[in-house]
Amino acid sequence: MKTFKGGIHPPEEKQLVKDNPIVDFPLSSRYHVLVQQHLGAPAKPVVKAGDEVKKGQVLSEPLGFVSVPVHAPTSGRVREIGRIVHPVTGLLAPCIVIDADGRDEWAHGLPLERDPFAMSREELMDAIKAAGVVGMGGATFPTHVKLSPPKDKTIDTFIVNGAECEPYLSSDHRLMLEQPERVLKGTGVIMKVLGLNRATIAIEANKPDALRLMREKAPAEIQVEALKVKYPQGAEKQLINALTGREVPSGGLPMDVGAVVQNAGTCAAVWDACARGIPLIERITSVTGRGIMQPKNIRVRVGTPLREVIDFCGGLNSVAKIIFGGPMMGIAQFTQDIAIMKGTSGVLVLREEDTNITAYSACISCGRCVEACPMGLIPSVLSKLGEKGMHQKAVENNLLDCVECGSCTYVCPANRPIVHFVKHLKALSRAAGAKK
Amino acid sequence: MKNISASNPAEDPVKEQAAKLSVYVSSSPHVHSTEDVPWIMRQVIYALIPGALVGVYFFGIPALRVIAVAIVSCVVMEALWQKLTASPVTIKDGSAVLTGLLLAMNLPSGAPWWLVVIGSLVAIIIAKQLFGGIGNNPFNPALVGRVFLLISFPVAMTTWPEPRSFFSQAADAATGATPLGALKTAIFEHGTIAAAPGLNLMDPFLGNVGGSLGEISALALILGGIYLIARRIITWHIPVVYIATVAVLTGILWLVNPEGYASPAFHLVAGGLMLGAFFMATDMVTSPITNTGKVVFAIGCGVITVVIRLWGGYPEGVSFAILIMNAFVPLINRATKPAKFGAVR
Amino acid sequence: MISSILLLGGIGFLAALVLGISAVTFAVKMDPREQEVLDQLPGANCGACGYAGCAAFAHEITVNPEAEMACPAVNEKALEAISAVLGRSLGGSAPLIACIRCKGAPAETTNRYGYIGPKDCRAAQIVAGGPKGCQYGCLGLGTCEEVCPFEAIIMGEDGLPRVIESLCTGCGKCVSACPRGIIQLIPRTGNYWVGCVSKDTAKEMKPLCKVGCIKCGICGDVCPFDAITVSKTASAEIDQDKCQRCGLCVSACPTGVISALSVPRKVHIIAEKCKGCSICEQVCPAEAISGKVKEPYLVNEGKCIGCGLCIEKCPSDAIERIIS
Repeated sequence: MKTFKGGIHPPEEKQLVKDNPIVDFPLSSRYHVLVQQHLGAPAKPVVKAGDEVKKGQVLSEPLGFVSVPVHAPTSGRVREIGRIVHPVTGLLAPCIVIDADGRDEWAHGLPLERDPFAMSREELMDAIKAAGVVGMGGATFPTHVKLSPPKDKTIDTFIVNGAECEPYLSSDHRLMLEQPERVLKGTGVIMKVLGLNRATIAIEANKPDALRLMREKAPAEIQVEALKVKYPQGAEKQLINALTGREVPSGGLPMDVGAVVQNAGTCAAVWDACARGIPLIERITSVTGRGIMQPKNIRVRVGTPLREVIDFCGGLNSVAKIIFGGPMMGIAQFTQDIAIMKGTSGVLVLREEDTNITAYSACISCGRCVEACPMGLIPSVLSKLGEKGMHQKAVENNLLDCVECGSCTYVCPANRPIVHFVKHLKALSRAAGAKK
Repeated sequence: MKNISASNPAEDPVKEQAAKLSVYVSSSPHVHSTEDVPWIMRQVIYALIPGALVGVYFFGIPALRVIAVAIVSCVVMEALWQKLTASPVTIKDGSAVLTGLLLAMNLPSGAPWWLVVIGSLVAIIIAKQLFGGIGNNPFNPALVGRVFLLISFPVAMTTWPEPRSFFSQAADAATGATPLGALKTAIFEHGTIAAAPGLNLMDPFLGNVGGSLGEISALALILGGIYLIARRIITWHIPVVYIATVAVLTGILWLVNPEGYASPAFHLVAGGLMLGAFFMATDMVTSPITNTGKVVFAIGCGVITVVIRLWGGYPEGVSFAILIMNAFVPLINRATKPAKFGAVR
Repeated sequence: MISSILLLGGIGFLAALVLGISAVTFAVKMDPREQEVLDQLPGANCGACGYAGCAAFAHEITVNPEAEMACPAVNEKALEAISAVLGRSLGGSAPLIACIRCKGAPAETTNRYGYIGPKDCRAAQIVAGGPKGCQYGCLGLGTCEEVCPFEAIIMGEDGLPRVIESLCTGCGKCVSACPRGIIQLIPRTGNYWVGCVSKDTAKEMKPLCKVGCIKCGICGDVCPFDAITVSKTASAEIDQDKCQRCGLCVSACPTGVISALSVPRKVHIIAEKCKGCSICEQVCPAEAISGKVKEPYLVNEGKCIGCGLCIEKCPSDAIERIIS
């Protein structure tokens, strides 16, 4: 089975939710829709307090090319343009607060009935951007930008990322099991946008039911490939490498080796956007971990308060960490007063015994991090440079090639927070660059 | 740099504060392997137990005494030093215990207690703590201790009690030569190994020979080494390449002149090669960090070991070979960096 | 015996010869004044001058007759010595000192979460914006103490950094290291600074910190020189150029958030010189001077706040500072 060099095998822990069918999360009375839920320039609010809005209505406009709009998750009235803690930065960020009217009415004309395969490439791209579709694996990169590589880059490979290599999470898994058509048809639309007649859906071997079903349902031009279970198989560069043997060049992007990768959930959102004009206002999220009483996979609207999600899932057990995303690259939260975003693939609640809160000690050069690093770096050196703040030397030691997957930190017997050191060094390097 | 954790509530108010709040926040990742430094040290100690038991069996209570004194004095000295220098006391990580055990395995069983204590002092304080503690020492601490003792107390360190069954109550231990010692004497004085007729393969393989209390049984050490490799504490590179280098070099010479050189099989089981290849050269802090580097390191160790054994003044060359190669490790690390993903060629 | 003496002696002589010749042929041509200048520099290589260390700056200022004195860490004596060596007078810039604009020790503030990670303020800041409840206050992890090349900042028992006045040279390394931007350089002659930079309103700040600036505005009102600006969403700021060190703001501040480098000394009226004109009584903001016209006036030491306005206004030069 195809794989990549390096990587680790953390306990999968997916048994908590992988067999739980998706449950529709009930309508909330209030939504906090963050204006910035994507990489790139924030969107600009176009509504004000007191405005009536309908479901799917644009709340803020994109600023520039690398930006997407955000939409109302339900019908109601704009309470205020307020601020809420942003799950990614931990700082207050602007959000549009909507009091739902309970009627959940679509904006005028929605949903549409269109045949995306009869639409031109430009029309499809406009639909994808207008729907605010972003990478739903967690990176939230605007999809329309990813699908518009510059003219000089020839794309010959399109990969759908169904690997879901993070432990605990099963949102893509359940999506492929319960709504394979949305994923497959979305794949077809993207193939048309990229001008390809072939695509590959990559699924890790720990999802045999999804592999079977997708193989059954997929048309001939979409190949379904099983990959060896190893973290971080779902990382873009490792995925391309395992499937095609190509290595994305240092400092480059997948398009430099002719590849485009999209998350399975993003493909489904693309289909909705193109065929029915539906903007990205809801997603499938795995609420899991032993710190939550009733783990579930939920279909939840963007802007839903986290407190309600936790209550819906039975409340908290004993909790040490609340994480948005998976345990390897997710972001720990310090408050429950936050809201679900477009990129929230999981809400993971860990007890003290499930996570690591021990002090770190000196590096013993055991080499486990070198074995684990999928990018061929020497993480122990970066951690020692991080202790001293030596960012220039770190850049010489390939600091910028680190994808912060966390494999090194997972295996380090001295408990060294290597990813934290890398982030610290990158921040110092950026600050030094800005000063110049 | 110090760090904040939740495991020391008395020292850090974090846990107390967090108890009032709901959560901890750290950078990703938020899960961790259960294999930490104390776990690794424990596995190595378990792997050494067969070799230590054989030593105690053949050399009796004195061997046990050497082991106990070494471990206790290493731990006490590390704790004392760290307290005196107002550094965090780290004896719980098990590295001092391991150094003590390894040092003991490298000493003759008749070593007096004060000799062992001096060796511990050199190993822990000079070779390890003065360089900045665990992770910062360039040389294998147990070997530095052993070599210091060898040079400073050559008589005490080359007085080898004869092996005998643990249950035979002989009053005084007779002393004799180790297999390698007998070999060197035979070659130097008579020019042929036939002058040492008592040499065979089974004795050093099982352990019925004189020598350092931990090195005598190749079998026990190989078993321990296999355990370490199976548990992924060490990789196969250093032991296999080190042993193979010694086998190849001695094999070539033996094939050319079987009277003047001992067989490669003999060189493998006699002396401290098994102990050195599986337990001393593989010390993580003082060996290269990449597998390619480990191969280079192991070849170097093998070559120097053979040179000293065959043409040097000492009968055994493992300790010196490893220490000399320890000095090259930073250079080897620089020269054998792993291939970066996506390196622009 | 003779042969070994000759052999070793010969080797020694050869070595000395090689060294001696090398010292001449490979000598680095350097202006001898450069070394003298370098000896006067503090040698901390802090980089505040903008050059790659003290040696680089010494080289620049020696060879370039236009070069200015850019080192903030030289004292008067060193400045004179360097001027003498180079044969031109070098004026130093007004000496600066670092001040820590936060009084929120852990005992007075709340935390949002338990932080796990390296003990570095910059590293903590990138984890959800830092553990402190107040987004503007000192994180207390000691990065400023670590980066100071002169060991002039120490973390106090209460968890806040303290600047050691005698050691601080105003190089500014701590200012750039602090991720919260709470360290400011003020002139050494400047006496006062506000120990809070919070932009939260008083209401927002209350649950987070007991000792921050409540933005009451009293300091701005009492300042006779218009040197203080304060608003509902900005802590008080003292304009160091306008501040005349009268100290009225310190006395007026209800929370004590305005700090002073040194306590101003009280005043005493020299009876022999005093003409009894009563101008001092009129200008005194603390009502600490009293007396009868044409008779020597008296200062009530208990009420005197040491602002020195009376000294400025006295036409007879009859008032002096005392150590009480």
